[in-house]
Amino acid sequence: MKNIHSLWLLPVAAIVSPVYAADYLTVEQAQKAIFADAQSFEARPAKLTSDQQDKIKSLSGLRQRWDTQQIWRAVKNGKTLGWFVVDEVIGKHEFITYAVGLSPDGHVLGVEIMTYRETYGGGVRNAIWRQHLVGKTLADPFKLDEDVPNISGGTLSSRNVMDGVKRVLAIQKVLNLVE
Amino acid sequence: MASLKRMRPLLGTFVEIGCDQSDKSAEHAIAAAFDVIEKLHHLLSFHEQASDLSRLNQAEGKAVAVHQHTLRVMKLACGMTAASNGLFNCTLGGAMVQNGVLPNHSSPNPDSAGTKASGVANDIQINAHTITLSNSIKITLDGIAKGYAVDCAIAQLKRFGVKAAWVNAGGDLRVYGDLVLPVHRREINGDYVSLGGLQNAALATSTVTDVYDKTFPGKIVGSLTSPALGSWTVMTHYAWRADALTKVACLAVAADRAAMVERLGGRIVTVK
Repeated sequence: MKNIHSLWLLPVAAIVSPVYAADYLTVEQAQKAIFADAQSFEARPAKLTSDQQDKIKSLSGLRQRWDTQQIWRAVKNGKTLGWFVVDEVIGKHEFITYAVGLSPDGHVLGVEIMTYRETYGGGVRNAIWRQHLVGKTLADPFKLDEDVPNISGGTLSSRNVMDGVKRVLAIQKVLNLVE
Repeated sequence: MASLKRMRPLLGTFVEIGCDQSDKSAEHAIAAAFDVIEKLHHLLSFHEQASDLSRLNQAEGKAVAVHQHTLRVMKLACGMTAASNGLFNCTLGGAMVQNGVLPNHSSPNPDSAGTKASGVANDIQINAHTITLSNSIKITLDGIAKGYAVDCAIAQLKRFGVKAAWVNAGGDLRVYGDLVLPVHRREINGDYVSLGGLQNAALATSTVTDVYDKTFPGKIVGSLTSPALGSWTVMTHYAWRADALTKVACLAVAADRAAMVERLGGRIVTVK
């Protein structure tokens, strides 16, 4: 008998095909999804100094891997509704672009996944995957966007994105993104 | 066909909600469905210290007033624990903490606090507005909460008048209306296998592997039988039931597996 303590239970993705990558929102759509009341979005891209990157790491415990960050100020009647930040998570199996909305006082107003790419298994797997795309799945009665394959769910935990959000909150603090 | 789909990180995984219309009302419906899932996330999380579940687990035998959703999911979990003779077991929270899979909110050492690794359905008393746990057990809703959240999101989409839609919370999938969702399952070796099209049904898959995956440290504990290696997919009407029955499927004795899952309202999906 197998030692049950060495067995692990994984909730596995039921994947909607054609799958493996999906686009959910453009920057503009994500801005409207999180800040529905905003009249405009002022681009405020940030160039982070290495000192600022260090501060972000010490505040969040997570390394800031790049020195530019896409940031917008959400504006209504000249007032700051909050800050809209686009960020990326590059994991072992996934590449995710997502948006975070922050209130001026440093609360998360919303998180939306913009694009989700899975790189599970690498090249060989891709070849196997393409075989599945050929034939009946493409002829299925319900087709989603035809050019972009769709993924639903994932075996992956969303911890990477939650960590990313923590890092984005540190960016807000270091750049003093308030009113 | 125009479609709309959104994804948010919730319930510890990525939740996708989609429907076959792309108008403003569909956007409102999807946002409302996410709101329900987020609400449940905060009520039923083992990780959040202020959740209904954590308050219940720290109550040390006292009655705890909880939200209607918590009462409902606890009734379902308790009923399934009894009906499956503990193959699905929502009282394994203590064992999960002792194994380091779930965080310990109550004391530095779960053993010293007298927490029991697991219990039985009778250790849970559910009243009109309160729940009482006895025998120092801890509840985990890992095997049922995601599915329950999917069901609630589906109910919300219907309430908002969406004719056809699907919700997938990291593998717990349910679809309704006039659409057929082609579903693939990822195998342990990374291959994808077609399970066919899903319509007006729920489906969940759990995989039992002997390889530790740190991105999802789920663990099978407290069972006398040895879980069967492989992927187990169960189809039902409701996602909570599919979610729970995948655990029954991987823990049941091989000879009883199909009949047991069927008796509990599901069907094992086999790959041809």
